[in-house]
Amino acid sequence: MLAVLAIITLPLIFNDTYWRTNLTICAINVLLALGLDFILGYAGQLNLGHSAFYGLGAYVSTLLIVKLGVPFWGAFAAGVAFSGLAGMFLSLFAVRLRGHYLAIASLGFAVIIYQILLNWISLTQGPLGIYGISPPPPIAIGGTVLVDFRNLTAFFYLVSAFTLLVYLLLDQLVRSPVGETLTAIREDEVSAASLGINGAAWKVFAFGVGAAIGGAAGCFYASFVGTLVPDAFFVTEAFNILAMVIVGGMGTLIGPVFGAILLTLLPEVLRGIGDLRLVVYGAALTFVVLFMPGGLAQAARIVRDKLGFGGQTS
Amino acid sequence: MTTTIVLQQAINGVVLGSLYVLVALGLTLIYGVLVQINFAHADFVTLGAFAAYFLMHLVGAGYIVSIGFAFVVGAVLGWLINASIFTPLRRKGNELLPLIATIGVSVMMQNLMLAWFGPIPYAFETKYSSEVIRFAGIFVSWQNVIIIAVSSVTIALLYAFMKFTFLGKALRAVSQDRETAGLMGINPNQLIMLTFIIASALAGMAGAMLAPVLVLTPFAGTSVIVKAFAIVIIGGFGNVEGTILAGLIVGLVESYTTQYLDPGLIDIVVFGLLLLMLAIKPTGLISERREENV
Amino acid sequence: MNTGFRALFVGVAAISLLTIGHAAHAQDKTIKIGALFPMSGPGSYFGAQDKQGVELALEQLNKNGVNGYKFAVQYEDSSCGPLPATQAAKRLIEQFKPDVIIGEECSDATLAVMPIVDQAKVPLLNAGSSSIKVTEPGNPWTFRIMPNEVMQGINLADNAYKRLNARNAVLLFENTNAGIGNAQVFKDTFTKLGGKVLAEIGFGRDVNDFTSIATRVAGLGKIDVIPTYTLEGQGLKITQALAQAGVTKGGGGDAIQIGTIWLPFGFEQKAGKAALGYIRIVQFDPTETRDAVKNFSTAFKAKYNADPTHLNAHAYDQIMLIADVVKRGGKDAQSIRDGLAATKNYSGVTGSVEFDKTNQNTKMDTVHYMETKPDMSWTSLKWN
Repeated sequence: MLAVLAIITLPLIFNDTYWRTNLTICAINVLLALGLDFILGYAGQLNLGHSAFYGLGAYVSTLLIVKLGVPFWGAFAAGVAFSGLAGMFLSLFAVRLRGHYLAIASLGFAVIIYQILLNWISLTQGPLGIYGISPPPPIAIGGTVLVDFRNLTAFFYLVSAFTLLVYLLLDQLVRSPVGETLTAIREDEVSAASLGINGAAWKVFAFGVGAAIGGAAGCFYASFVGTLVPDAFFVTEAFNILAMVIVGGMGTLIGPVFGAILLTLLPEVLRGIGDLRLVVYGAALTFVVLFMPGGLAQAARIVRDKLGFGGQTS
Repeated sequence: MTTTIVLQQAINGVVLGSLYVLVALGLTLIYGVLVQINFAHADFVTLGAFAAYFLMHLVGAGYIVSIGFAFVVGAVLGWLINASIFTPLRRKGNELLPLIATIGVSVMMQNLMLAWFGPIPYAFETKYSSEVIRFAGIFVSWQNVIIIAVSSVTIALLYAFMKFTFLGKALRAVSQDRETAGLMGINPNQLIMLTFIIASALAGMAGAMLAPVLVLTPFAGTSVIVKAFAIVIIGGFGNVEGTILAGLIVGLVESYTTQYLDPGLIDIVVFGLLLLMLAIKPTGLISERREENV
Repeated sequence: MNTGFRALFVGVAAISLLTIGHAAHAQDKTIKIGALFPMSGPGSYFGAQDKQGVELALEQLNKNGVNGYKFAVQYEDSSCGPLPATQAAKRLIEQFKPDVIIGEECSDATLAVMPIVDQAKVPLLNAGSSSIKVTEPGNPWTFRIMPNEVMQGINLADNAYKRLNARNAVLLFENTNAGIGNAQVFKDTFTKLGGKVLAEIGFGRDVNDFTSIATRVAGLGKIDVIPTYTLEGQGLKITQALAQAGVTKGGGGDAIQIGTIWLPFGFEQKAGKAALGYIRIVQFDPTETRDAVKNFSTAFKAKYNADPTHLNAHAYDQIMLIADVVKRGGKDAQSIRDGLAATKNYSGVTGSVEFDKTNQNTKMDTVHYMETKPDMSWTSLKWN
């Protein structure tokens, strides 16, 4: 509930386009972090290539709109589905791989997807880029426009609403028997198998869900920035998303939210100090990992416990 | 004419491959002993290159001396990073955290270098890079000859070290089975430190040798690192012979792809090979490790 | 009650004083210039040099001001990419409220920023992006003083065919908007004139070793010209590799490398003998004898102890052109925009400026041709 209130009031406090843009990007990054965390923190799969799903979602939806005139939400659904399928494909391929092998395979996958987006110029325009991508069509009833998504605040509400929905759904999923199954697989796959759990199938499922969420973020990204170039999906982006998950607190749902918000806003806030801002960013990352491996979620828990709020541990 | 081209590209491929091997060797050593991926490895390479550059231009030292200097700089850096980051994190037992920490270190290093050295590419010229040997329609620059020579010697030394000396065997023991090695009286932590130092020294040295080839900016290392990872996997994590073989193969793949297809496709071909490898034989071309089945 | 009135009186008095004080300060008018340059990432190479040019111009202008106006610049880091550029542009417009914006360097970033300035009704003066898409659609709020890829490409191909008698070409280009676009224009013009393009080889920005590419080029037979579209770092490697492979004049071959604007003065010193015979278009010719150029070079050397590059010169021209518009009466976003559009035969250090109806500067004296001599200096080929 607090979240809903926060979401509604934030754009009103920050009433200039610069900060509202930042908020929207935060929301998109939260979405990305949630998706990755589901694969990584909940299903225990070392995915270093999340940028691939981000990019696929963005390009598939945009190309459908721009080249075939598919209406926005149809293209959105297609983008999400395609990314989800790509995630499942990667997972099927990697189902025998463990740990670091999977990590590099996913990295390789991300590099290949990036190179395809970059080099298949006749399809994706490659580095030439796609410009003038429109935001979702306005919601109107009988001629009167209710919500126009060219308005930054409206767009922010849209993305945050979607993100909140995803969060709630994941929360339900994680508390359900599905969540327990995933935890079992994550902790000890062999024992889980002896209980009759088909580890492979669940891994594929987790990958599919996480990837689909990443694809949704991509669709929003494209229509938000209005310009699409492959560089936005270079593999370093996957590391950024990973950082958000870790810094926020892997294996929790609120963790990615914290992590995404902090790591999105930190470089912007640090703009004032000029040249050294990215150095500070890197240092912050390193220190969090060294001293607070549970990330911000852990920190929040410590603070909450110290302040005596107690309650259930998440 | 065509045989000349094929031969020439073969030489180009071997040169490229040797460079990749130097970078990849460090990674594979670290992985073998630590089971860790060091994302800042690329930046050690870059820093090595800059170290060599400044030694030559500020102090006027010779090129070969600068390579040695870069080697030392790399070693020091390796010691630092292991002591301050990997050792404390190892106690926590999480395998992902050190990875992220190295990402943080990488970002810091790149941007520090950017602040110190600026973004404008440095022209790293040695008297060897412009001199070319020509025979039978083929050309090789002296720089490339040095690269192959130094790489071969280094690799041979490393190989001998791993196979024949006690320390080398201890390293392999630790990488195969840390607990048992510990039971046999080998101190894993010291060995790990040694490995790190060697690996980073190799990286620094690779940087100094790569410097005339690379476009020397603070981001120079990143252009090689992703391929280095691919080579480590194709060759087999922790496996020195595999890495050498894989590195040479990747180098050759690169030059032949450029010749007969398109330079833009290099990454796709290399990573396609990687994925193929993972599908068929994930442990790599040559593997000594027992596969972790359970 | 009395206290109330007194408070009110003091309040009104204070406000009046403040307003009068403010009105007095209003004499010191400023034209606010926003600068969108890449300051971080691989493009920071551009931003650093742009800043130098801007600072020099500001120093000179603010000594006496123009028409009672001084000039203030706010820099924002657009990192050469669409998303950071849109961020930086929005931040600039929201917080600094500039009367005019200069930037970006990279075509992708400029194209992303254009709709924003359009909506905010602030003129954008560009001097670094070559993509035709910046001006072709015709934006009332975007101006470009640099010749675009079509102007340069056609001119280059034309000159190659006619003055150099070239009939065979091999294109080398980086896989970006600018690289691909430029190569395409050259190819179209050259083939239309009757020339042949033997190969088109594109490469990514992360390629470092060009020996393989040079080998491939060497195997293509007789080549007259090799148009090369890339940045300095890779350009250096290509030139050296081509010389090593014996393809270009610098290596004992016959082919002439030709190219456009991205190789600054000083390239030869870094490339060495390999650069012999290289002919290229540059945006700024420091060997020009015009007073404007000589004065600029002297002032730049005095301030920075280095020779100016085209990046410095462009940035300098951008500020100076704005100052000229102010001299002609520009004082806010709209009037500056109109002033820019009305520019006739303005003489900058990079050449003259006059905009056509798509706000593209069409003066060809901005296209300077240079050839590298055996002693590694430039000769200016007076082709335009």
